[in-house]
Amino acid sequence: MPDNWSYVFSAYGLAAVVLVGYWRRLAGRAKSLAGRGERKGP
Amino acid sequence: MAARALGWLAVLALIAGLGAAFGYAPREAVQGNVQRIMYLHVPAVLTAYLAFALVFLGSVGYLLSRRAGWDRLALAAAEPGVLFTGITIASGSIWGKPTWGTWWTWDARLTSTAVLFLVYVGYLLLRGMVDEPDRRARAAAVVGILGAANIPIVHFSVTWWRALHQPAAILGPGSAPMPLWMKMALAINWLAFTLVFAYFLTRRMEIARLEQEA
Repeated sequence: MPDNWSYVFSAYGLAAVVLVGYWRRLAGRAKSLAGRGERKGP
Repeated sequence: MAARALGWLAVLALIAGLGAAFGYAPREAVQGNVQRIMYLHVPAVLTAYLAFALVFLGSVGYLLSRRAGWDRLALAAAEPGVLFTGITIASGSIWGKPTWGTWWTWDARLTSTAVLFLVYVGYLLLRGMVDEPDRRARAAAVVGILGAANIPIVHFSVTWWRALHQPAAILGPGSAPMPLWMKMALAINWLAFTLVFAYFLTRRMEIARLEQEA
């Protein structure tokens, strides 16, 4: 069977996009919540 | 600080996993290099099982104690669980095209995995639809408990029904039919995905706590 590297890289690339996208979403949400907390003050 | 260390550990484990999948593990004799998708596909589904088992645990814990921490655990596990199930379905579909000749077939394993994905997408949608915290947590907990019944159905579907999908490589009856270095590469990637999940879980639980306090 041919190696089909394009399928392999598509699968890994898609997984990387999903995981990095979620990580960025979490980081953005944490940052906005921290900013809100700072504006509120003690 | 601990979450940051966990994140870096997960990154290192992912790099080791990629090294194992593309360097250490040999080219499979029948399928060729396309079989390397297994080192992504199998750890992704095993991590999804773990995530949904924690949703179950958090849901039971909330219904028994009514403590918000259990609900936060269930929510924080459900989101990455859906992501890992999505990765499982997409990578399986991409792997299926060159090996089975089709992107999708209504095989028992594929269908039950799609149902699992939709149940937990529904779980997250339900959480977004109910405003009152206790009502939301109770309704979500019921779905989280019922949804977990699908995990053994997904895993054992290849044993219970005639399926195009191959038998379970891990957690199946008998030893996995593959050489030691393939098992090692799979184990390293499984560990890496578990660490990524643990990092996401920790961060998401902290965000959920801050959201409740805001």
